[in-house]
Amino acid sequence: MDIFNALMAGFATAVTPANLLWCLVGCALGTAVGVLPGIGPAVAVAMLLPITAKVEVTASMIFFSGIYYGAMYGGSTTSILLNTPGETASMVTAMEGNKMAKSGRAGAALATAAIGSFVAGTIATVIVTLFAPFVAEFAVRLGPPEYFLLMLLAFTTVSAVLGKSTLRGMTALFIGLAAGCVGLDQISAQSRYTGGIPELLDGIEIVLVAVGLFAVAEVLYAVLYEGRTVEQQNKLSRVHMSARDWKRSIPAWLRGTAIGTPFGCIPAGGTEIPTFLSYAMEKKLAKNPQDKAEFGTSGAIEGVAGPEAANNATVTAALIPLLTLGIPTSNTTAILLGAFQNYGIQPGPQLFTTSATLVWALIASLYIGNLMLLVLNLPLVGLWVKLLKIPKPQLYAGILIFATVGAYGMRQSAFDLFLLYAIGVLGVLMRRFDFPTAPVVVGMILGPLAEAQLRNAMSIGEGSAAVFFQRPMSITLVIIVVAVLVLPRLAKYLPSRRVVV
Amino acid sequence: MTPGSTTFTADTTAAQRAAAVWPQTLVGIGVLLTGLGLAFGAIGISSTAGYGGVGPNFLPWLVSAVLTLCGGWMIWEARSGGFRSLEAPSGAERAYWPGFVWVSAGLLMNAALITSIGFILSCALCYVLAVQGLRRASGQPSGAPRTWLIDLVTGLLIAGPVFWMFTKFLAINLPGLTTTGWL
Repeated sequence: MDIFNALMAGFATAVTPANLLWCLVGCALGTAVGVLPGIGPAVAVAMLLPITAKVEVTASMIFFSGIYYGAMYGGSTTSILLNTPGETASMVTAMEGNKMAKSGRAGAALATAAIGSFVAGTIATVIVTLFAPFVAEFAVRLGPPEYFLLMLLAFTTVSAVLGKSTLRGMTALFIGLAAGCVGLDQISAQSRYTGGIPELLDGIEIVLVAVGLFAVAEVLYAVLYEGRTVEQQNKLSRVHMSARDWKRSIPAWLRGTAIGTPFGCIPAGGTEIPTFLSYAMEKKLAKNPQDKAEFGTSGAIEGVAGPEAANNATVTAALIPLLTLGIPTSNTTAILLGAFQNYGIQPGPQLFTTSATLVWALIASLYIGNLMLLVLNLPLVGLWVKLLKIPKPQLYAGILIFATVGAYGMRQSAFDLFLLYAIGVLGVLMRRFDFPTAPVVVGMILGPLAEAQLRNAMSIGEGSAAVFFQRPMSITLVIIVVAVLVLPRLAKYLPSRRVVV
Repeated sequence: MTPGSTTFTADTTAAQRAAAVWPQTLVGIGVLLTGLGLAFGAIGISSTAGYGGVGPNFLPWLVSAVLTLCGGWMIWEARSGGFRSLEAPSGAERAYWPGFVWVSAGLLMNAALITSIGFILSCALCYVLAVQGLRRASGQPSGAPRTWLIDLVTGLLIAGPVFWMFTKFLAINLPGLTTTGWL
């Protein structure tokens, strides 16, 4: 009953008029950035990070999480109606959703995406509510060696497993770690890589890196390479699902949620794997020959419902490792962690005791936000679609103004704006040569924390790395890290051997 | 100069792969030099390790070693058939540099002028220059005085409310031209 009481107290905090308003503004803004091409939730939260200086912590975290999952709803609208998906998370939705829209069923696709997101988001929130406190209780028992290994696991999955090329993933991760090194060392207060520039003593702001890599790089990339890219917009039809659509969608939503939730919980981030898995599963499970034939041709509704639910479940469940362990598994959760840090709060097992009001208000706001988003996205979808009419040049130039607010507002330094430009150029190179960006952000935020844990762990072991192998939990984690690195390669190697034999 | 119209397809041709050898090598060299530069910087960081045996210079050395290695490996990949499992980049094959110059000018002038002419004017200028580049890139009419005027007004209409919203409601410090707080 403790959890129930805590959740009710959370609702009491979350339903104050001010917090409800923050939630609504966050959800609306999130939907808008999800719909608009060029900016995603990570950059929207990053650009607004300066508000952490003035706005109270509960209000701003409710606001940021509204943006975070609102963008997932908005993203599906763009991927269904335009021929270019806004982000990797909606790539799978784009495959079938776009085909449905082309054959005049945009409304049904939008409806199944929005309702599916609601169902999955709500179920995953219930799971967060029930499980996060237990994970936190368990996590209290973890020491520096385990924390370091958990972070190592996050580094490994984000750089070596999720991307296409381990080499480029590793490079991106270590560039992020290098950026995290700049400034004063946490433990010894030694200055590192500051080059005598006083602005760098405080380190490089995460806002700069996120806004530079995502917003400025996007604008520069668009002007360099995508000026002539023509986008076709599909016609919006009435947002309505027939009885048959419901019958086909409901099991797909539930399966998608079941696939997505565990992926969000483990520090192996990313929505690509669960959404693709869900898509593959729906395609395989389609029994009716007529439904099966729709995949890849006129668009099958299960192919939108499943992946969309998996996406939202993953995104919501990703709050479990963030809140209980302080480990972000994606760009946006990494920046949310940055927002907590701006308040001097380090998410982790103690969060549920030291900042119980904040955590439970945040969780309660997830329930409220999901409901708000359903309303914002079903009857009002026509309004959001109008955003797609903003011409690209004006939209992208406008993004630069907001980028300036984020980058300059953080510490009022014009130097940061030059740095922002340099990071933007780096982002263009990374995109052109197919380097993943998530490892940079995760490496930069988690790097200093991992370093501190490593040094604490080594102090516990009195200078011996054996400390990582002597404790049952840490040796388990070592084995998992090794397995994550080795198994995918082994799996690739074995079938090819069999073919040879 | 017009933006290129050919796009990369998933299966890049041998000619495209050959054209990518030098740019990819340069990226590899860039990473290698970054690694070496970081190693140079790491020399000056103290190694005082205390109980743990791991001092403040451990991560810098690790990072520089790995980046140097990655850079070397990339150069090798670039010279031996190109980067592995590379997804073809989206958009045109050839870059449209004039547009890049316009947008860069907007961003850099914004950085240089924001403290002296204030957020609103500086951002409006950035907007006007960037939108010029983006218009040219997409082949829209861009040079006419009327277009410039429309862009300037649009820029001011975005920058003004953004400035007021962030300074008045959210109490974020942004530089103004005057001390009234409205311009």
